[in-house]
Amino acid sequence: MQAYAIYALKRLAQFVLVVFIGINLAYLISHATPIDPVEQTVSAATSFGNASPEAILMMRASLRELYGLEGGAVSQYAAFWRRVLVGDFGPSLSAFPTPVSTLIGRALPWTVGLLSVSTCLAFALGNLLGGLAGYFRESRILKLAGIAAMAVHPIPYYIVAFVLLIVFGYLWPVLPISGGYRINTPWGWNAEFVLSVVTHAILPVASLVLVGVGGWFMGMRSLVSNIVSEDYVVYAELAGVSRGRILGAYVMRNALAPQVTGLAMSLGSIFNGAIITEQVFGYPGIGTLLIQAVHAGDYSLVIGIASVSIVAVSVAVLIIDLLYPLLDPRVKVA
Amino acid sequence: MSALLDIDRVGMTYVSGTLLARRVVRAVDDLSLRLEAGRPEIVAIIGESGSGKTTLARMILNLATPTDGVIRFRGTDVAKIRSNHARADFMRQVQPIFQNPFEAFNPLKRVDRYLFMSARRLADARGAEVDALADRALHQVGLSLAELRGRFPHELSGGQLQRAAIARALISAPKLIVADEPVSMVDASLRMSIVNLFRSLRDELHVSIVYITHDLATAYYISDRVLIMQRGRAVESGAAREVLANPQHPYSRLLKASVLSPEDAGKPTIAANT
Repeated sequence: MQAYAIYALKRLAQFVLVVFIGINLAYLISHATPIDPVEQTVSAATSFGNASPEAILMMRASLRELYGLEGGAVSQYAAFWRRVLVGDFGPSLSAFPTPVSTLIGRALPWTVGLLSVSTCLAFALGNLLGGLAGYFRESRILKLAGIAAMAVHPIPYYIVAFVLLIVFGYLWPVLPISGGYRINTPWGWNAEFVLSVVTHAILPVASLVLVGVGGWFMGMRSLVSNIVSEDYVVYAELAGVSRGRILGAYVMRNALAPQVTGLAMSLGSIFNGAIITEQVFGYPGIGTLLIQAVHAGDYSLVIGIASVSIVAVSVAVLIIDLLYPLLDPRVKVA
Repeated sequence: MSALLDIDRVGMTYVSGTLLARRVVRAVDDLSLRLEAGRPEIVAIIGESGSGKTTLARMILNLATPTDGVIRFRGTDVAKIRSNHARADFMRQVQPIFQNPFEAFNPLKRVDRYLFMSARRLADARGAEVDALADRALHQVGLSLAELRGRFPHELSGGQLQRAAIARALISAPKLIVADEPVSMVDASLRMSIVNLFRSLRDELHVSIVYITHDLATAYYISDRVLIMQRGRAVESGAAREVLANPQHPYSRLLKASVLSPEDAGKPTIAANT
C-alpha cells in the first residue's frame, strides 16, 4: 500500500509538471501570433469611414488599456499565472467583455459529453468485438466485422463524417446534421430537450466511433489470438472451464492491460479530433470556439481553451495511470 | 492386463489455406502406443521439431481430435469427452505439464490459487484440507506453500514455476502425466532435478509419464521405453536402453550421432575443417 502511495505521488508530480509546461507553451505560442486583436478591432472600426490619424491613435491606446496588454512581457506573464491559478483567463478579446471562463464553461460540456461517450463506445465495442473475433476465429460474422473494421479504419475521418452527413442528412434525412440541440427548444431536464440533444449527437458520435473502433478491434484481436494459444488458457480449457469464462477472465482480461495503455495514449490527441468533428457537424463545443478564437486573434480565449484541454487530458491520463496497477500486478508501483 | 493408455493407429491431418491453395500436412501417421495399467513407466517420445510429438500430446490430452484412429484412456475414447463434468473427471487422472513455465500460469492470477482450485475441483478438498493438499504437493517437488503464498507468476523463477506446475499436476493424484518438453526451457542446473523428480513420481507415486522431448540424453537417463518419431511416423520403438544403445533406423542413428558428448569438447567442428 505504501508503494502505491509513492507511485501515486510521483505520478501526481508528473501531472503538475506536464500541466505547467503545457500551459506555458500555450501562452508562448499564442503570444507569438502575428494577429493583433487591437489592430483587428481598429481596422474593423475604421473601415466604415474616414477616421483621422489622431482618432485611430486614441482608439488604439484605449483598446490596449481595456484588453490588459499594458506593461512589459514579464509583468504580463506574472499577471497571467496569477489569474490562471484562480481559473480566471480574463475577458475574451473577441466577445468582450464576456469572461473567457464563461465561454469555455458554455462550450465544455458539449465537447466532454461528445468525446467521452464516443471514446467509451469505441473502446468498449472495439475491444469486445476484437476479443470475440480473436477467440472465435472460425465465426463468419466476426470475420466480416474484421474486414469492415479494417476497411473503415484507414479512411480519413472527415470523409467518414461527410459520408454520414450525406447519407443521413440528405439522401435519407432522418437525423439533424448541425448544432447541438434543436433551436428554440427551452433548456432544461425535459424530455424534449434531452431528446433533441441525443438526436443531434448521434451523427458526430457515430462518425468518431466508426473511425475509432477499428484500431481497438484490430489491436484486441491480435492480442487475443496470441493469448489463446498460451498454456494457461489451454490448461483452463482442459479443466473444463466454460468458454465464456475463459474468454472473459483469462483471455480478454489479460489483453486489457495493453489496451488501456493505448487508451491513455490516444487521449492525448482526442481534442484534435474534436475540432474537425465540431466543424463538420456545427457542434457548439470547444473545437468550434477555438477556431473562432484563432481567427479573431483572441489569445486570451486560445490560452484558456488550450489550458483547459491540457488539464482535462492530463487528468484523464492520470486517472488511467492510477488505476493501472490494479489492472496488472506486473506493473512495478514503487 | 488392461491398458491405461491405448493409442491405436492414430493419425492427424491438418488442412490449411483456401480452396485454391490447399496445404495438407500429415502431422501424425499411423501411430500406436500402449501403456499398461498397474505398471507405471516413463515413455519418452523423441523427435525433432515438426515430427508430430506435440500434436500427439495434444491428442492424448483431448485438445485435438485425431482424424483417424482412436486414443483410449482406461477404455474410454478420449475424443468423446465433451461435457465439463467429463473433462474434469478426465483431468483428475491425466495432467499436462507444458514446455514454457512462464506461460503455464495466468500472469494475473496468484500461483497458489491454481493449486487451491485444483485441490477443490479435482481432489474435492474442503477447508483446511485444501491448504494441506497444496502444501503436500509442493513438498513433493521441493517447494512449500509458505514460499509461494500470495505470489504472482512474475515473482517466481522459471524453475520454481515449472516445479509449481508439476505440483499442480500432482494434486489430483493422476495416473498419467503428459509432459511436453518440460525441461527444454529450464536452465541446465535445474533440468536434472526435474528429471529426477519424474523418476520419483513413477517409483513412489506410481504415475505413468509420457515424456515428450528432443533431448536424447535425458530420455536415455529416465525413460523405460522410447518411441522415435520422424515426420509423424514412429520409426523405432522399444526398451530405452536397447534402442538408444543400438539404434536400427537411420534416423535414430543420426539422432544419436548428433548428441554432443563431453569427449567432443574442444575438437574442431566440421565447419572449421572444410
